[in-house]
Amino acid sequence: MTEYIKLIDVSKCTGCRGCQLACKQWNGLPAKQTVNYGTYQNPPDLQANTWTLIRFSEIADKDRVKWIFRKDGCMHCTDAACVKVCPSGALYHTDVGTVAVNTEKCIGCKECISACPFDIPRYDKATDKIYKCDLCYSRIKADLIPACAKACPTGAVTFGEKQVMLKKAHARAKELGGEASVYGDKFVGGTHVVYVLEEKPRVYGLPSKPSVPATIVIWKDILKPLSLIAAGGVIAGSLLHYIIHGPKLPDENNDKVGKGGE
Amino acid sequence: MKKGLIKATDAFERIVHWNLAISCLILCITGLGMMFHSFNFIGTLMGGLKSLKYVHNFTGLWFLVSLYFAIRMWWKEAGVFSMPEDLEWIKVAGGYLWHVDKVPEVGKYNPGQKMFFLAVAIFGSLMVVTGLIMWFPLLFPPGLVRLMYMLHALGFAVIFPFFFVHLYLGTIGSPGSLSAMTTGWVTRAWLKKQHGKWLKEMEEKGELVVFGEEEKGSTSHH
Repeated sequence: MTEYIKLIDVSKCTGCRGCQLACKQWNGLPAKQTVNYGTYQNPPDLQANTWTLIRFSEIADKDRVKWIFRKDGCMHCTDAACVKVCPSGALYHTDVGTVAVNTEKCIGCKECISACPFDIPRYDKATDKIYKCDLCYSRIKADLIPACAKACPTGAVTFGEKQVMLKKAHARAKELGGEASVYGDKFVGGTHVVYVLEEKPRVYGLPSKPSVPATIVIWKDILKPLSLIAAGGVIAGSLLHYIIHGPKLPDENNDKVGKGGE
Repeated sequence: MKKGLIKATDAFERIVHWNLAISCLILCITGLGMMFHSFNFIGTLMGGLKSLKYVHNFTGLWFLVSLYFAIRMWWKEAGVFSMPEDLEWIKVAGGYLWHVDKVPEVGKYNPGQKMFFLAVAIFGSLMVVTGLIMWFPLLFPPGLVRLMYMLHALGFAVIFPFFFVHLYLGTIGSPGSLSAMTTGWVTRAWLKKQHGKWLKEMEEKGELVVFGEEEKGSTSHH
């Protein structure tokens, strides 16, 4: 299996939102009426029909203000919490390591929404299903790069084989120096979307140590098998009890009416 | 019905019991369908996993109502231990696990049954509360919802094995018990063996209803 990753170099992003539009175009996701609330970030958040979004934030930096952009969207984790919790198998790992959704199978339970450490899946009331980026699986399969990478005019969004892209990412982070770092290769088994960040992850609203939540690990890896093992143990135990110790019977012949209640 | 059988339960108790039992069973089966991909086929039988989800959710409401009546009805009898005789009974495991010359006599419910009732009451309530939050997860913080999923799984890990214990002891593990929950009439021999103290109490108070003797009218005077 050749794994592919999308590399997002935030230092090269100009916030043009070409990726956002290209995503909507390729995936046939019409925009909805929105409101200006004082920022270029539009729509305000990821939506069931907005799978990638440039997040704009302003941070104070000594005597000036830094205006930073980050392309948000599914990180395509190797150890994906959403795939782990999905009861129907609608969320699955593709053959290139990314995480896709089979909407046909989605039952709208929303378990993935609370599981995702990056707050990505979005629920659509109208269809009772969840939606998110699938890293343009249909394009990858047709030897095309994802629509967002195709549209990016500055080279901030690029796509390629995992090892090659990771090498590029680390070289770029080194080149930028300072707080610059590679984000994505060190947790949840490695993500298939990797950032080169100029500031600390927190500054971009990213969790510094994302992981599959402990409650989900306990639920899926311990309690789930335990419930069947315990039930099996009880059934086996009952059977053994019956043939070794025997059932608890009333003391015979102390009553005119025999065992009428069986 | 044979002459001499003794009335152990009234119709209301049995109706509540079977509502609780059937709804719980449906919840376990549909829950398994969502918990394991290998059991997804249970959803196919219901017209898809989405239908199964709705069956599970609405059966949960049925379970909630049944559980409410069960707790209200049985709390005083089965929710409170009467010491020291219950402790004595626990020390010998009710004579279920090894040979005991004389098992202490117990009332209407033995400590094992009480523990089962408490497990159903506590973990059943836990299932209802966590389940309702899981039904509307977007109204709550994700961290809380994740905790609910874990506790829901914990409740299942307790209730599902308990169900089989209950099934065994209500049928072949203790012959004569089942009729208490079907017709409501049990034999004197069974009652004496299983709930001797209760039999004595009923006799002393003159509450014993014996089939065929002084037909006091109905079988359900609830």
